[in-house]
Amino acid sequence: MQITIEHRPSYALAVVALDANETVVAEAGSMVSMDTHVQIETSVGKKGEGKLKGLMKGLKRMVSGESFFQNRYTATGAAGEVTFAPTLQGDIDVHELTQDTFFLQSSAFVCSDDRIEIDAKWGGAKTFFGGEGLIMLKATGSGPIAFNSFGAIRELDIDGTYTVDTGHIVAFEETLEFSVSKFGGGWKSFLLGGEGLVCRFNGRGKLWIQTRNSSEFGQLIGGKLPPREH
Amino acid sequence: MQHQIKNKPDYASLHLQLDEGDQVVTESGAMMAMDRGLEMETNAKGGVMGALKRAAGGESLFLNTYTSTGPGQRLDLGPNTPGDIEHRELLGDALMVQSGSYMASTPGVEVDTKWGGAKTFFGGEGLFMLKCSGKGHLWFSSYGAIHTVDVSETYVVDTSHIVAFEDTLTFHVKKVGGLKSLFFSGEGLVCEFSGSGKLYLQTRSASALAGFLHPFRPVKQKSG
Repeated sequence: MQITIEHRPSYALAVVALDANETVVAEAGSMVSMDTHVQIETSVGKKGEGKLKGLMKGLKRMVSGESFFQNRYTATGAAGEVTFAPTLQGDIDVHELTQDTFFLQSSAFVCSDDRIEIDAKWGGAKTFFGGEGLIMLKATGSGPIAFNSFGAIRELDIDGTYTVDTGHIVAFEETLEFSVSKFGGGWKSFLLGGEGLVCRFNGRGKLWIQTRNSSEFGQLIGGKLPPREH
Repeated sequence: MQHQIKNKPDYASLHLQLDEGDQVVTESGAMMAMDRGLEMETNAKGGVMGALKRAAGGESLFLNTYTSTGPGQRLDLGPNTPGDIEHRELLGDALMVQSGSYMASTPGVEVDTKWGGAKTFFGGEGLFMLKCSGKGHLWFSSYGAIHTVDVSETYVVDTSHIVAFEDTLTFHVKKVGGLKSLFFSGEGLVCEFSGSGKLYLQTRSASALAGFLHPFRPVKQKSG
């Protein structure tokens, strides 16, 4: 499987070249185009996994802001192509896993090799109050995984400590430890100051951050729209 | 008439210069700025009443015709989404253009809303296809980048990502992967193309953006 990113950086598109009978897993609803012999299968878990285990994983993914259902695209019989796009404007990057683990912010997932296991990981109970849902997806295995940003992606090499607003985290390597806390001067600035929760990283590893915050954007536009029924 | 596309690819705009007697037809909301020597007339495709009726069903197209009364009159046009603009010169061939992507054309290009396949193409998206044929210039725009695909046998596209395609391609609209997939996957209708010809896709979808923003809308307070 080869994942190529075209139309970088503002409106990136992931173009996945599959060998015969290879499978790529993608966020539901993100498919733009594909060859006709690519088959789509909607599932809540990996093939061969028990239904219940799969369902629990699906539920966890839903809580984490990721779609409940992921789709599996298989090039049946011959090599084929599928393309995927995120919803918002921004870039896509690809990370190659080799028997290791990588954390992604839940809405940053675009697609991955089906040898990679995707699971939700809580960022700790505190994060539930932030409204920014810092629940990370934990990707483990081998193969390429594509992730998207809202705005540009900045790749940082961390050695020591670094603090990032939770709404700007895209992904990080597992060699980095992280903890979530509220930013700065107590509850007053937390509630009124606009800076919500931050993630404090510690250790050595790569960190990817995005230059825009999607929930801030959603609140800006959503607040100007007519009310919805429910 | 001279034409140039500037500010590609993220925020493309179209800049025309019309000499006396030159005409250009544009989508009604596209005008950004213009010189004073241009006269504008609004036409509704298929008559005003017909267009109003179609507007009720989300299928309206009001076109403005600009006529130059002097030399070198500038007309600047901008699409309604962030993204790119593509230019095609038609030489008797035909291009199907999604109604939201049509931007402008010269009078030799016939823009037909009454083409048979126009209606059912996009499900609930409120879009329809225009058949642009004849001889002349045609400009269309995208939300996001324009991704071109040369189809040689068959190819499948999510309908919300279609910008335009050559009429040498035949197509049919269908649901993907059976009912379960349709219901849960987020993929609604896809268009399956066959034949050989060029296909223009956009790398972002307006309805996906609307879906993202929906949960951020305030919730209506129950009265009483």
